[in-house]
Amino acid sequence: MKNGPAYLLLMLLVTACFSLATIVQPRADRWSQRGQDSVLKVLLGDGRRLFANHFFTKADIYFHSGYYPSIFDTAQPQRENHLASHEEEHDAHDDHEKEADFLGRPKDWVERFGRHFMITKHTHLENGNEREILPWLKLSAELDPQLIDTYTVAAYWLANRMHRIREAEDFLREGLRANPNSYEILFSLGRIYYENEHDAARARNVWELGLRRWNEQEPGKKEPDKLALEELTVNLARLEENEGNLDKAIAYLEMAKKVSPAPQNLEQQIHELKQKVAAHHPAA
Amino acid sequence: MASIVELKNLRVEYRAATSPQGKKVAVKDLNLRINAGEVFGFLGPNGAGKTTTMNVLLGFVNATAGDAYLFGVNVREPIARQRIGYLPELTYYYKFLTAEEILRFYAKIFKIPKAETENRIDRLLKLVELEPARNRPLKTYSKGMQQRVGLAQALINDPDLLILDEPTSGLDPLGRMKVREIIQRLKSEGKTVFFSSHELGEVETVCDRVAIINQGELKVEGPVAELISSYQANLEQIFLKIIGYQPQPN
Amino acid sequence: MNTVLALSGVVVKELYRRKDFYVLLVLTALITLLLGSVQFFHDDKIIRYLKEIALLLIWISGLVIAVGTTARQIPAERENRTIFPLLAKPVTRAQVVIGKFAGCWFASGLALIVFYVFFGIVVGSRENHWPFGNYLQAFWLQWSMLAIVIGLVLLGSIVFAAPSSNATICLVCIIGILLLGKHLNTIALQQPKPLGTIVYTLYFLIPHLEWYDVRELVEFDQPLIPWAYCGLASLYAAAYTSMLLFATWFMFRRKALNV
Repeated sequence: MKNGPAYLLLMLLVTACFSLATIVQPRADRWSQRGQDSVLKVLLGDGRRLFANHFFTKADIYFHSGYYPSIFDTAQPQRENHLASHEEEHDAHDDHEKEADFLGRPKDWVERFGRHFMITKHTHLENGNEREILPWLKLSAELDPQLIDTYTVAAYWLANRMHRIREAEDFLREGLRANPNSYEILFSLGRIYYENEHDAARARNVWELGLRRWNEQEPGKKEPDKLALEELTVNLARLEENEGNLDKAIAYLEMAKKVSPAPQNLEQQIHELKQKVAAHHPAA
Repeated sequence: MASIVELKNLRVEYRAATSPQGKKVAVKDLNLRINAGEVFGFLGPNGAGKTTTMNVLLGFVNATAGDAYLFGVNVREPIARQRIGYLPELTYYYKFLTAEEILRFYAKIFKIPKAETENRIDRLLKLVELEPARNRPLKTYSKGMQQRVGLAQALINDPDLLILDEPTSGLDPLGRMKVREIIQRLKSEGKTVFFSSHELGEVETVCDRVAIINQGELKVEGPVAELISSYQANLEQIFLKIIGYQPQPN
Repeated sequence: MNTVLALSGVVVKELYRRKDFYVLLVLTALITLLLGSVQFFHDDKIIRYLKEIALLLIWISGLVIAVGTTARQIPAERENRTIFPLLAKPVTRAQVVIGKFAGCWFASGLALIVFYVFFGIVVGSRENHWPFGNYLQAFWLQWSMLAIVIGLVLLGSIVFAAPSSNATICLVCIIGILLLGKHLNTIALQQPKPLGTIVYTLYFLIPHLEWYDVRELVEFDQPLIPWAYCGLASLYAAAYTSMLLFATWFMFRRKALNV
């Protein structure tokens, strides 16, 4: 009985601990799930998206070997990152050269002198040096897995310039895991299968899935992504044509024609395909 | 006899917001001469103007009026300090340096040749009994050891005039005795020593002449023996009388 | 000259006996080696990101060492009262200013040499290519820039009360100049008068530290800067530094030493 108050205190403490556990446990579970995120995501929070965009731009800077306008040099409010769009067309150039000549004439002797200590020549990385942009793309994807362009741009450079097909495919798959409904990534993956691995069946599956995803997401929008639809349908048409499925090819080209900025070219192709069909089945 | 130190109508004023005139007079029209080869004691209560006077001699503070000379050279010229050694009251040196490095640093400032520098360092460290600790950084030294380093650096250029501000402050009796011995040895070598101290017993033993300053003014100056004879009292009693101290009746 | 060299020797000894330099070196080395061990897409030839990060760390370390070492020189001498036994010797205040500057500059230079040697070894072992000319230019220009920085901080140590406030204000100004200095003329032209005139005047008055930041030229394997221009930039740095040191001496010569 002498120890009565001590035992009572102990019982109260144990009860308090168990009660606290019911509050703390769910929080601890949430934390441990959060721990599966990378350190960077936990540290930076939503600010990581800003960094992700910055690193994506950094890849473009590296592509131009440091010759890049600052926010003070650009007249337009938002200069398009030209790594991201029309990767095949980046070599077309008088317009790009003019756009890239942001430095202009020096305004005073200080600036004239200072230009000897900075990069003033517009160049693109080549001869394997394109690899230098990869760390920034990887970091950008790490910080913001929802930035689709990172995956598609990296896959283009990996597959087409560096001939690292496996790495390109793996990276796109990583992007697909983070963005399962992305028709852009599906399109890029299909290109890998078709152009690099020559696997028409897989390419068809992936592109058809991409088309379905596009139809689920884009039609309701004010400005649907017509370019992506055209790319998907034109490539599917090319695939079907090469596989001998001319009717399907025509159907895809008809879809593409509705959104193409140059429908007459597609009309010409449709006409040629119809002639081929007629040649195969003269009785019909 | 040539004057080593000469003060002519020296006046030093500081700005003081608390004072009705907006300024405080630290030294008032001080005239003083110290001759070659003598040991001169500079006495006064705290705040009397002793350190200010020394700071003018050393070029730390500019005089408001009057002049000060060392070896006949105005103290505003850095060359005036070529032949002096100075031991400040509070001895602080670069804590990351060893005693040897500090002495070498100051020797370099005096442009002493390398071989001579090494000789002097060995001799001085032995004199101040810091040989065993010569390669330890100063941050590991006790206060007494730092004081001895101070004495060594004051002697590195074999000065003709030594200015010591409370040289025995913080030293144990053995340390104080060593300092007295060094002062007497310097005197026997014909050096001039100008020092301030509150240890009046030591001053009476070591000094040839003394000056007592109070509230910036020179109150009395002369050979120690003459002052004692004239006031018929010891130096401490003379000091207390000069500064106007009245003992409380029991 | 002896006095200046003696004073500068003390500053250099202080640098390598304090922990700052070693901490920065170890941090730089650790981060560089860690990043160097990462592989992206199974390609071990990727090197430019490593060069960029290593050079950024070298620049940050160089600035921290220069500003940190310089900001505490004269205030520490006054606070620790080591200025008294120093000025009791035949040493002028001008010699103290020049000696402190020389010491901080040499100390920064030594630190930079160590950093650049490390950088050269790490990057060269991966690239199998050592563009010594580029590295030398990058080192020399950064060291010249640090002369201006040290001059500025030394002046600040006389103007501002505390080393911490001096270091902070100077670092903010230096980083501002590095990031925005070359764009001030563009900004000035976009402003209405008289603000535009003021900004343009500021543009001409500030030390153009951004000239000395040639990291991109090293990162992107650009050709060497013509040596004549390097020489002119060095002269500019020398002139600016001299002006700052003169201003420092001018303010220090009448300053009370807290007696």
